Amino acid sequence: MNKSLLYRGILILAVTAFMVWRFWPPEEKIKLGLDLRGGIHLVLRVKVEDALRSERDKVAERLSQESQTSGGPALQMQPISPTAFAVTVPPGGRDKILDVAHSEFGEWLPEAQGNRVTFRLKDDERRRLADLAVNQALKTIDNRINAFGVAEPQIQRQGMGGDRIVVQLPGVDDPERIKRLLKSTAFLEFRIVESGPASTSAEALAAYNGTLPPNLELLEGTVKDEVSGKSIGTQFYVVQKVARVTGRDLKSARPGVGQFNDPVVEFTFTHEAGQRFGELTQANTGKGLAIVLDHRVVSAPRIETRITDQGIIRGQFTQEEVTDLSTVLSSGALPAGIETLEERTVGPSLGADSIKDGIRAGVVGAVLVVLMMVVVYHLSGVNAIAALVLNVAIIFGGLAYFGATLTLPGIAGVVLTMGMAVDANVLIFERIREELRAGRTPRTSIEEGFKRAFASVIDTHMTTLIAALFLFQFGTGPVRGFAVTLMIGLSASLFTAVFVSHWLFDLELSLRKRVESISIG
Amino acid sequence: MRFFQNANYDFLKYRKHWAVVSTILSLLGLSVVVFHKGLNVGIDFAGGTQVVVQFLKPPTADDLRKSLAQTGLGDAVIQGYGAENPDQFMIRTRLHGNQEEGQEQEIIGALDKIYNPGSHPNFDINKGGAEGLALLLFENDPLQLKAADITAARDAYNEVAQSILAVRRQGVVRDFQQLAGVKGMTPEILQTLEQRAYVGNFAVLSREVVGPTVGAELRQRGILAVVLSMLAMLVYIWIRFELRFGIGAVIALIHDVLVTLGLYALFGFEFNLTTIAAFLTLVGYSVNDSVVVFDRVREMLRKSRRMPFEKLLNDAVNMTLSRTILTASSVFLACLALLFLGGEVLRGFSFVMTVGVIVGTYSSVFVAASFALLWENWVQRRREGQPPAPSRAAESKPRDAKPPRETRPSERKAAAGGRRR
Repeated sequence: MNKSLLYRGILILAVTAFMVWRFWPPEEKIKLGLDLRGGIHLVLRVKVEDALRSERDKVAERLSQESQTSGGPALQMQPISPTAFAVTVPPGGRDKILDVAHSEFGEWLPEAQGNRVTFRLKDDERRRLADLAVNQALKTIDNRINAFGVAEPQIQRQGMGGDRIVVQLPGVDDPERIKRLLKSTAFLEFRIVESGPASTSAEALAAYNGTLPPNLELLEGTVKDEVSGKSIGTQFYVVQKVARVTGRDLKSARPGVGQFNDPVVEFTFTHEAGQRFGELTQANTGKGLAIVLDHRVVSAPRIETRITDQGIIRGQFTQEEVTDLSTVLSSGALPAGIETLEERTVGPSLGADSIKDGIRAGVVGAVLVVLMMVVVYHLSGVNAIAALVLNVAIIFGGLAYFGATLTLPGIAGVVLTMGMAVDANVLIFERIREELRAGRTPRTSIEEGFKRAFASVIDTHMTTLIAALFLFQFGTGPVRGFAVTLMIGLSASLFTAVFVSHWLFDLELSLRKRVESISIG
Repeated sequence: MRFFQNANYDFLKYRKHWAVVSTILSLLGLSVVVFHKGLNVGIDFAGGTQVVVQFLKPPTADDLRKSLAQTGLGDAVIQGYGAENPDQFMIRTRLHGNQEEGQEQEIIGALDKIYNPGSHPNFDINKGGAEGLALLLFENDPLQLKAADITAARDAYNEVAQSILAVRRQGVVRDFQQLAGVKGMTPEILQTLEQRAYVGNFAVLSREVVGPTVGAELRQRGILAVVLSMLAMLVYIWIRFELRFGIGAVIALIHDVLVTLGLYALFGFEFNLTTIAAFLTLVGYSVNDSVVVFDRVREMLRKSRRMPFEKLLNDAVNMTLSRTILTASSVFLACLALLFLGGEVLRGFSFVMTVGVIVGTYSSVFVAASFALLWENWVQRRREGQPPAPSRAAESKPRDAKPPRETRPSERKAAAGGRRR
């Protein structure tokens, strides 16, 4: 055996070993797409116009305040679009308003027409605000998904600078819950305590003969050690089911310090919610107010007096907990509404069926192709077996190596590649036959066959590769997975047909002393 | 086994007839889509809601359609989900107006009303979530765990709920006894389930909603991808070979796509994202055949410069005929396996490829070469202002005298590489 033959053999073996090592065991190393393993795929749109509108209202409000502090009247704002509004200024007060606007709200371009001044948001500022809103929403969603505890979630913006967010949650099959989680703004509730705390649920329920009336609910709360702040038990509260005021009504939340120098969360209600909270606290003075977070009672202070627009949440928190809670509460406040543009949920049973079907089709397809090759090319057709086995190994190894996902169309891609991979073999074998027919020796025929078929092999691979590239560009999710599989498959088939199969022929020639014929049908 | 060893058919003699036949076939394909059946456009491109459900006692598709129509979902499209899964159905509705949100709740709600009638406990083993189940168990506390340690109780019930629903992930749950063996199950829990929950008549296997915005975008991008990929093929062949070959190959591609599309519409397969993937793959595959023929022409041009273009093309088609047939057969076999064994989701994809292989093979023999020749004659006629004479490659284009520059070095490299090995 000559050296070149040996080295090439070692290289082929090394490539095979590397690929198999990469993807073995496949259950662990091959990342399955959502269509195969089950899960949720969501495309969300952040309604940035909401965020812009609220920014516009804020600016108009402040402009009006500025006008009042300088002795002018309050200004009536007329909205034109999310990024434009107009005010009517009193006679003679126009220049003053323009001055204020110029110094305070430079990003809003004023345009005066008589007593009417129109303000328009600058384009780059609009983009900045929109971008900010989307990034903030992304962070909020990320926080909530993490809190939900999904393994390997993928949360990212779609494309550069768009208003879309793509969320992929493998293994989750309850889209309603996820959408609720993502779209809702907070889980904080304020509820009136009817009785409690009690140390067991039975004790709490005793006053109601074991069953609560429909308007009441039993909630748990954690008892914490006064000093260490660690959880030392659970207590039970009977509270009203309806929460008149919730985290949705929060304007802001931030860490603060309570009257005993303990860490608390300070919050402010919106004006309207403040009114409601005032009514609620007035009507229930003397009762406990349960501050409920994620359906657990954090604390239940006694209502001493009517409280309107702000308050604190005290719950023997550590400093860290207070920081986290205020982040969640305020990051929980999405900067803008979110709508679902696309939603796909695949249950795992469908995915499992698909894998089974795909493997079955692949095995049968491979057997048929190999049979055909052996019937047509006899011993040389065995080459095709090597090509197919190596091809599949390289595709799976490549998928694992690039961390690409195998999708259902991707499985079709593998099966299809088996059919196409032998094309290169066929091109070369047909060429070898032609050379043999022309009366050349087997050795020369093989050399010439490979050499002459090479251009065609390259061209056929290139055209399919071009199609695969467009597919990659066009597709998302499963289709993109198919494109990746096809591209890896094409490279694999180039390697197997040109390099491996040539080596196999050379190997056979070197093993035989006198070569008078080869088995090529 | 050898095919067409010394094939010498005159494929190009009747090129005008083939051109007419191919044009008619393409127009037929197009007219099936436009006038006859139209495409069964799935939610990917049209927007809408699609739910796959599995029934315990499956109704017939007609029953299902009638029942849904009574609940105001009369426009719903209902399809069986493959012969192997007689208990599964796909239900699809269009979006109403311009709303982005889907109708999956309405569909599932309607099915619930029809197939889970009467009064029963709140929790449906086949539809509820793990969280709800855990809560149900926690509230009823069949193992009396709450008194001792409430957190441990919650965890324990969570775990049981998870393993119960793991059963459902394999498909619709038939009865409570099916749950008896799962991890953490006790007779007490089973009893509680029997009292507080019920086994609904169907499970939801998948649900998909595509809003009008995304639908319109996908539609646009799909068309763009197919058109651009064809143009890219034209450019590639133009660079690698010559414009006339590129024209022939692209006309063959358009023919393949139209004919396959017509058959696809005729059989009523759903047209979705995967279908576009199939068509793009078909474009890539189908141009291969033409490229192999052109490669041969180029090689022969180098040997004999004075052979008429027509004979050149015809010889090349004949010489590569066995390869064309063999490759087509192997791809055809793989596609056939996919079509019959690959499952319901891939059926449309496999259909495009299976039919496409046949159509593509026909077109590479009868369309690509014919049109390359027709184009060549047309160009020549315009240039010379004469009736078409048998075109001579060497005379018609000075470029033909020398093989295209970019091919030579690569060939030489390949040869050298081969020797080095």
